[in-house]
Amino acid sequence: MSDGQPLLEVENLTTTFSTEDGTLTAVDGVDFSVDTGETVCIVGESGSGKTVATESITKIINTPPGKIEGTVRYKGRDLLSIPGSELRQIRGNEIAHIFQNPQEAMNHCYTVGWQITEALQIHQDVSDEEARTKAVDLMDRVGIANASSRFDDYPHEFSGGQKQRIMIAMALVGDPDLLIADEPTTALDVTVQAQILELLDDLQDEYGMGILFVTHDLGVVAQIADRIVVMYAGKVMERGNVLDIFDNPTHPYTQQLLECLPEFGGTGGGIPGTLPDPHDPPDGCRFAPRCEYAEEACRTGEQPEEVEIEPGQWVSCVHYGPGGDPSVIGGEEFGIAGDTGAADGDSEVGPADD
Amino acid sequence: MGFGRYVTARVLWAGVVSLIITTITFLLLSAAPNPDVQRAATQAALQGGDPAEAVERARELRGLDEPLYVRYFDFVQGVYTLDWGWSSSRSQPVIEAVGNALYYTAQYSIPWTILTVILGPLVGVYSAANMYSWRDHAATGFAFFGYAIPNFFFGIILLLIFGVWLEVIPIVYNTDVAVFSVENAIQLAIPVFVLVTGSIGAVMRVSRNESAEFQNADFMKTAKAKGVSPLRAYAYHVMRPTLVPLSTTLVGQLLALFLGSSLLVEVVFGIPGLGRLTFEALLSQDTNLVLGTTLFFTFVAVVGNLIEDLVFTVLDPRISYDDR
Repeated sequence: MSDGQPLLEVENLTTTFSTEDGTLTAVDGVDFSVDTGETVCIVGESGSGKTVATESITKIINTPPGKIEGTVRYKGRDLLSIPGSELRQIRGNEIAHIFQNPQEAMNHCYTVGWQITEALQIHQDVSDEEARTKAVDLMDRVGIANASSRFDDYPHEFSGGQKQRIMIAMALVGDPDLLIADEPTTALDVTVQAQILELLDDLQDEYGMGILFVTHDLGVVAQIADRIVVMYAGKVMERGNVLDIFDNPTHPYTQQLLECLPEFGGTGGGIPGTLPDPHDPPDGCRFAPRCEYAEEACRTGEQPEEVEIEPGQWVSCVHYGPGGDPSVIGGEEFGIAGDTGAADGDSEVGPADD
Repeated sequence: MGFGRYVTARVLWAGVVSLIITTITFLLLSAAPNPDVQRAATQAALQGGDPAEAVERARELRGLDEPLYVRYFDFVQGVYTLDWGWSSSRSQPVIEAVGNALYYTAQYSIPWTILTVILGPLVGVYSAANMYSWRDHAATGFAFFGYAIPNFFFGIILLLIFGVWLEVIPIVYNTDVAVFSVENAIQLAIPVFVLVTGSIGAVMRVSRNESAEFQNADFMKTAKAKGVSPLRAYAYHVMRPTLVPLSTTLVGQLLALFLGSSLLVEVVFGIPGLGRLTFEALLSQDTNLVLGTTLFFTFVAVVGNLIEDLVFTVLDPRISYDDR
């Protein structure tokens, strides 16, 4: 924004759920920001809290059982402390969401046109005909052929990719400033995935939206991201400019994520071990139990403070902190710049994610 | 292919079903001995006449000597032209007896059905929205109570409390009051209440469980993300899909109660409706009247299922009627 303030600024966001087994901490003190017109990707394994983090921004997770704390500053307003009625005016209007599974994300009982105009008429005082005209325009814009005749069709009459296009049309009704896209291409096949990403890219230029994009697909990240936030077990491990992080991944977790990708010179292996139990996270760095460089200092206290190692690149790792020794982490064997990543062609193991 | 054609086909099928029912009824009836004929034979024997001749005459009188197919066509024609024969126990045409009884049955059935159809889903969805709260537990408790307690017994208890002890309602149903009068509303309040508690339980439970599924569906998250208010989200996004499975339960429930409970409730409260008419026809072995009330209930069931099928396709657009 012109005044140098980010469009969205998330500070110390913590989301917990009270369950029968005690309190589950899904997101634990996360910081990140999104500027107008930029794409920020949140990456990490399934279960690392990416989705909960994005759904906490406009409080669309159910509270209770959820409990959201911290600050979510959108254009200077703290979304977590404004009344529900004000928040509803922002949802779907200024901040729009699209979801992972377009099939489930639409109500099967209503026509797609009804569902788009519903979003429109909640926020704008328009007649049914005006709403219809605008909805058809949007359907046309997102690439639905014969939009005016398909207005009255039901979701099940569209393919998966078309459904996601409709969801995007629904998100665009209020000319949003921020689009939160939660794995919008995961349920789609690869060619459709590329088309949807291209569409989002075009729309971003056209609408000047900031996009917060959740994915576990680093290939998608490489294609669309300006900045990335690497999350693990509810904590941010590393964040910064996408090129900086891909060139020089500093956190062992980021390094191992990239290592999983043969196309980035990795070996295509998975990361050994599993995510810690969110009811009872380990002391110290969350990643320490799976980290090959973990020392005693990594297993005590809290998650290390984030350290800015390069301008705009922050990492949460003991070895980069005060008294740490970054050379412990064998950076040269990772990174796209390295020469040891010769893939052996055997890449049946994908990313560590599902 | 279109909805219009589906409706037409479905209505025609309902007609065929009713014809099949009529045919089966006729076959059963013609295979069974006719009590009138037997009575004539007994009477002739008692009076020293010839039983065989009396049987012959009685059969001739009732057209039973005609060939089977002639009698079948007569019977079918009679059923569809509402000429349902003569009720010997009531000395009036069967259709008239059914019509009179229906007049009283409708007076409590219509408010009962409307209340069940409106309150059941509302309370069920409300219960799901407040799941495991004291409101939910109260609604669930009420549902199980109404479901578990026999209608006639509950009716007697309420009659005892409000009619005998508190004396706020008449103990015997008064047919002389006008349909739309305070007196009629008062005397029908308890029977309607009893029937509603009996039928609303299942409706509430089904809508609670179905809507519990839909209120956590992804499309509810979409609705929330669009800025839809919670009330609107429940009214549109939860209620609508809930009605689809509910419509099946609802029709079955209401029909079952209509046939079963209305009889007992009418007997308890002394309402001269269809249930009591059937009951008395059975006791007095009035074949034509039993046949008439049975056919009436059967046709109600056929029409009920027809409506259910049509409502089903309107509510859930995914149900295809292309290949049916």
